Amino acid sequence: MILLDNVHKSFDGKEVLKGIDTVFETGKTNLIIGQSGSGKTVLLKCVVGLLEPTSGDIFYDGRSLAAMGKNERTQLRSELGMLFQGSALFDSLSVQDNVLFPLRMFSEVSDKDKIKRARYCLDRVGLTGAYTKFPSEISGGMQKRAAIARAIALNPKYLFCDEPNSGLDPLTSIKIDELITDITEEYQMTTIINTHDMNSVISMGEKVIFIYEGEKGWEGTKEEIITATDHHLREFVFASKFFQKSVELSKK
Amino acid sequence: MNLIEHVGKYSLLMYRTFSVPQRWKLFLKQLWREIEKLGADSLVITFIISIFIGAVMTMQTQMNIENPLLPRYTVGLVTRDTLLLEFCSSIMCLILAGKVGSNIASEIGTMRISEQIDAMEIMGVNSANYIILPKIIGFMVFIPFLVIYSMFFGLVGGYLISVFTDLITPATYIYGIQYWFIPWYVYYSIIKSVIFAFVITSVSSYYGYYSYGGALDVGKSSTSAVVNSSIIILLLNVILTKILLAS
Repeated sequence: MILLDNVHKSFDGKEVLKGIDTVFETGKTNLIIGQSGSGKTVLLKCVVGLLEPTSGDIFYDGRSLAAMGKNERTQLRSELGMLFQGSALFDSLSVQDNVLFPLRMFSEVSDKDKIKRARYCLDRVGLTGAYTKFPSEISGGMQKRAAIARAIALNPKYLFCDEPNSGLDPLTSIKIDELITDITEEYQMTTIINTHDMNSVISMGEKVIFIYEGEKGWEGTKEEIITATDHHLREFVFASKFFQKSVELSKK
Repeated sequence: MNLIEHVGKYSLLMYRTFSVPQRWKLFLKQLWREIEKLGADSLVITFIISIFIGAVMTMQTQMNIENPLLPRYTVGLVTRDTLLLEFCSSIMCLILAGKVGSNIASEIGTMRISEQIDAMEIMGVNSANYIILPKIIGFMVFIPFLVIYSMFFGLVGGYLISVFTDLITPATYIYGIQYWFIPWYVYYSIIKSVIFAFVITSVSSYYGYYSYGGALDVGKSSTSAVVNSSIIILLLNVILTKILLAS
């Protein structure tokens, strides 16, 4: 479980996050939604420790991020896995070496076992046969899968995904969403996903937080989001005519 | 950003860079890759530049020494000392600042904007240490070899002029490059180049590491890396010459 306690973040005097309070539960897919520029990515970067909140605190299963020393932070980092918007695979390494990277850095098992684990993770995300390929040689969807494999290589307790469907076609997006949901249940992780894809919200949103201009505008589940009355949330959710029609048709 | 901020950020980056590698095996693997990429891949350009500069320097020295009181071997002597004292360390490092510096800044800058550095940080990897340290150590280790290699081919360039033109005889040239040889000049050149290698790699890494935005910004970082490395090299050249030769 990750608890956010009144998280503020400012850049050069401009307040981007204005006191976010929420709880992300273990074994669930927690979604942060909001328009571009609303502060979603900044919030996610604060949660993972890439940015320091201006004030407020973040608690990982009761452990305060602000109070952690260097060693405790290093320990925490080994419990995190992250899927970046652009996959962030290392260009100079093959797909297998990308997955092996965290294992080589932090795992004490033999080289043979590291390779076995990396291949297991790649097989798990459906990348059997792409071991020796380089990131530039595979599709965007495969890159995301490889990045997921790298993120779960060390059995993380917390998984963070920054717009996992960005740049992917709808079919591949659904597959990536299903993969993240399955992995979250399988590994009993606390998963936080940053997205503005309503398909993902409806398929995965066990808990949804809507960020509007740096504030928590709404909080609920995927079932509640359709009937929510918050003006800004409705504007965001029903921005797609297709989605609007689909909801109307399902009501009939 | 003002100079003090740059110096502060650069110092903090170097503090993070010069820590004990988390995995020696990976560090040594990276080190070998960087020696090959930054050092060995510079051999061809160093060879071409050195041989041509050595040749031109010999011709120009000969053409400008018309005084009958000056012995003919002065051509070889001047060529040798110019190569040893200035060309093979300072000028060669200025040229390498362009090649190696832009390579480092653009590589690290691309890693920054494509979030590869963030990915390392999330994993708990000291990205500065993992990415930058092998580049600095690799180039500093290889540069003495490049300098000696450049000295050799610079002198060969001059020799070729003595063989293929009638400006000077090969025997006089060979006598000149051996005449009143001061070994300290070689050490002086190597010491300077090692310091310049540190400047090129660390300053370029700094500009790459703190890149942000897109491809255009990586290009700007790359330009800043080359320009600022070159200015620092020129400044240090004066200081080092004063310390190592003039004192």
